[in-house]
Amino acid sequence: MSLPTDASPLPHFVSDRPFDPEAVYQYTAAQKALFEASQLRLMWWKFRRHKPALISAVFLGVIYLTILVSEVLAPYNLHSRHTTHVYAPPQRVHIFHEGTLQAPFVYGFNYKLNMENLKREYVPDAAKIQPIRWFCRGDEYEFWGVFRSDWHVVCPAEGGTLFLLGTDRLGRDVLSRIIYGARISLTIGLLGVMVSLVLGIVIGGMAGYYGGLFDILSQRLIEVIQSIPSIPLWLALAAILPITWSPIVVYFGITVILGLLDWTGLARTVRSKLFALREEDYVSAAQVMGASSYRIVFRHLIPGFASHLIATATIAIPSMILGETTLSFLGLGLRAPITSWGVLLTEAQNINAVALYPWLLWPVLPVILVVLAFNFLGDGLRDAADPYK
Amino acid sequence: MRTLASVAVLLASLLVPAMAVEEAPVLAERVAAGKMPPQKERLPDEPRVTTVDEATQRTPGKPGGTIRMLMAEQNDLRMVTVYGYARLVGYDRSLELQPDILLSYENDRNRVFTLHLRPGHKWSDGSPFTAEDFRYQWEDVLVDKDMERGGLDPALYAGGEPPKFEVIDPLTVRYTWTAPNPLFLPALAGARPLDIYSASAYLKQFHAKYAEPKALEAAVAAEQVKNWQALQIRKGRSYRPENPDLPTLQPWVNLTRPPANRFVFERNPYYHKLDQNGVQLPYVDQLVINIAESSIIPAKTGSGESDLQERYLSFGDYTFLKEGEERNNYQVRLWTVGKGSAMAFFPNLNAADPGWRAVFRDARFRRALSMGIDRSQINQVLFSGMAQEGASTVLPGSPLYRDELGTAYATHDPDAANALLDEMGLKRGPDGKRRLPDGRPMDLIVESTGESSMEADVQELVASDWQKLGIKLLPRTSQRDIFRSRVAAGSTIMSVWAGVDNGAPTADFSPQEFVPTDPYQLQWPAWGNYMATNGKAGEKIDDPKVARLVELYQQWLAAEDDETKQAAWTEILDIHADQVYSIGIVTATLVPVVVSNKLKNVPEQGISSFDPYAYFGVYEMDAFWMDDAAAN
Repeated sequence: MSLPTDASPLPHFVSDRPFDPEAVYQYTAAQKALFEASQLRLMWWKFRRHKPALISAVFLGVIYLTILVSEVLAPYNLHSRHTTHVYAPPQRVHIFHEGTLQAPFVYGFNYKLNMENLKREYVPDAAKIQPIRWFCRGDEYEFWGVFRSDWHVVCPAEGGTLFLLGTDRLGRDVLSRIIYGARISLTIGLLGVMVSLVLGIVIGGMAGYYGGLFDILSQRLIEVIQSIPSIPLWLALAAILPITWSPIVVYFGITVILGLLDWTGLARTVRSKLFALREEDYVSAAQVMGASSYRIVFRHLIPGFASHLIATATIAIPSMILGETTLSFLGLGLRAPITSWGVLLTEAQNINAVALYPWLLWPVLPVILVVLAFNFLGDGLRDAADPYK
Repeated sequence: MRTLASVAVLLASLLVPAMAVEEAPVLAERVAAGKMPPQKERLPDEPRVTTVDEATQRTPGKPGGTIRMLMAEQNDLRMVTVYGYARLVGYDRSLELQPDILLSYENDRNRVFTLHLRPGHKWSDGSPFTAEDFRYQWEDVLVDKDMERGGLDPALYAGGEPPKFEVIDPLTVRYTWTAPNPLFLPALAGARPLDIYSASAYLKQFHAKYAEPKALEAAVAAEQVKNWQALQIRKGRSYRPENPDLPTLQPWVNLTRPPANRFVFERNPYYHKLDQNGVQLPYVDQLVINIAESSIIPAKTGSGESDLQERYLSFGDYTFLKEGEERNNYQVRLWTVGKGSAMAFFPNLNAADPGWRAVFRDARFRRALSMGIDRSQINQVLFSGMAQEGASTVLPGSPLYRDELGTAYATHDPDAANALLDEMGLKRGPDGKRRLPDGRPMDLIVESTGESSMEADVQELVASDWQKLGIKLLPRTSQRDIFRSRVAAGSTIMSVWAGVDNGAPTADFSPQEFVPTDPYQLQWPAWGNYMATNGKAGEKIDDPKVARLVELYQQWLAAEDDETKQAAWTEILDIHADQVYSIGIVTATLVPVVVSNKLKNVPEQGISSFDPYAYFGVYEMDAFWMDDAAAN
């Protein structure tokens, strides 16, 4: 440390950088984005952090996309039978044949009827290599009942078979039937939830906003409906549906029944939310400004907890899917030739399926996965529903 | 022939007292305790002796043991009466009528039937079985105005008249008709027998004519029924043995008062049959019937919970049952189903829909539908190729069967079928579907009860066959009651059911299932109703071929000799083969019968049929026995 030799100025002890006296009030970019973000965006950020919910959402999205193009995805037509392959077990996909790498293929079956116990025995034959075809022409189908085509994503080899999940008692491909069954099983949940959402919001909304006699009556009605055990009630209602109705009308009837029974919990929630919200200042303000009840409820109150409604609805869908499966399994819901996961499980409802043909139980898997996914999704949505917390 | 048989029985019975009498151990205890008279006093003076030997692949047994069986509902208790098969007269294995409960009978030209009871025959409570039991049932139940019954069983009418009933002496009764009644004896031998006797000593306490009014009133109130008539019916149900107090002549007596999930039947100590060694039948002490859900019965059977099971098992369960054989010590046998056809399509010739009715009346259409079906594919897929493909007629085992009956229009020939339909002028529309004469597309609704998955599967297979003929099959399932009422009302167009019940008749059996006689016949309900009600309801038969069937049936009813009966049967079956009134798919299908390795004398092969075989009845279930020494 020595002093400067000449009269050059000493280094200044005060920073000469530009000084912004409001720097302490400045936000970082991240903070700025956070504070300026819309409610929806905040919800998305929060939701994104809930990994299981995110994965579930993607999974459900994909599954719902498949029902638009079931015909193309299924290797076989819904109704095509293979009378030489009755109760064939699932075929495994291989990529190695005797140690050499090949395009994915399956081994064809050698069939033998065991005369001792009349069991149909299928043995994969290493000599029958059946390469799987991609983006190919196979079974003909009517796309959404509109136009004919025979284009599939995946097909069996020419003259070969491709039963990835085995076949049933008429030699129908189980995988194709599961893919087609998704169309019914997944949409029946949506229709039912629609009905219950509308009923829940309207009845709960009116009860919560007006209170008084309507509230008392609707609450007692809800208590009565909730006190009835659900399965016997479903059975009774399903039995009322005329047996002469076509399966598709029965299908619609069941969705309505499921919806008619499921609105009570939602109505309760809506009512209690409205009780709290209608005391808020902004509601008084709207009233003073002469807004109609309709406008106050639907414009000011409902959006206040719309996110909550979405979460509730999401959790309600799996119960609808399970309801359809239960009713069909009991033989009271959908019937063949309509194909849903419940119908497929009904057909597997005997000791033979469990003991000898376990692959007929595969439709259980998509039911479990979809229900789980909806539950995770609902969980994530509920967490994200109130981002300001 | 018949008198000879009864003489043989008489002779055999004279030999019995000479043989050593062996009491069943359970009964010996009671006899020793003085609770029951010894066997000699319990048996009729002339018991029926049945020979259990090599000739029928049977071995004489030892008394004792329990047979466990599974049933789906309380109504199935009637199966004990069916299996037990003690009848006034019953069929033997070659379907010849033999006196069973009766000592003998005389049949005068099918008009006068004289029935002789066994002296000293007793009900299961030890009270005597006499002509009074017939008189009571006839005078105080069947024709008693107070009982308000809706007429007698059809088998009791001949030429529209009921019989004259006489008691000749305490052991002899006689039924006399002016016209021949060939239905009477078969009805007595039926799986569901005609009730012409009942335990009068017991039932009189529930009849206004005999009972104390006060006591009767109290009984009506206690049972919570409408009136004493209902009480009489409830207490006196012999076919479905629900009432443990009701004495019976069957081999096993119910001990359990319903409702219950486990019914125990015990041997009837007064049963009238012996084997050749003087051992009283039944060999088996107890039947235990457990009630289980019908869909779970194959699983329970496979885990060894039944010693003798045919009910609620189907061909599809065979593989599964076979896997449990070793583990659970039973054997699975395959019996042949005794129905004329395992499944048949019935076009309704009386359909309310005029368009379809007109088409169905044309034999060419029915033949075309039949020829359009690929029966061998159905056989392969559903029966592993083990059934026989063929039209709906009698079974190949019947003496009335001829090859041309089974093969008539039953070979798959879609070209010939299409040619027939073209010849009828049924044009195809632009969608490839044929049109009815009134212009509607041929959407053929086929109704079924939805009870068996086989029906649905066959319909699915047939639908694709008929699509090639330009006919679209639409299956519609309902429930049995709704199905039957729709059929009777003519609302069905086509329905699915099994073929005739008695698939292996001889000329002595009634051809009524092939002739309009019943309002529930699926191919001609209105004509059947017309015949059943003597023209009071239904529609008059306006088809010459069907009218001819009725004429032949009348000839059979009036027949005095076997040639006439044979001729009537032959022509009836010929008309059916030619006209295809029902479209049969496969016959002689197989059904698994599970038999415990301990249970002896159950036939290796048999015919599984309700009537006339009564399932195990004709094979004498009372002579089945449990061999405890058998390998476990």
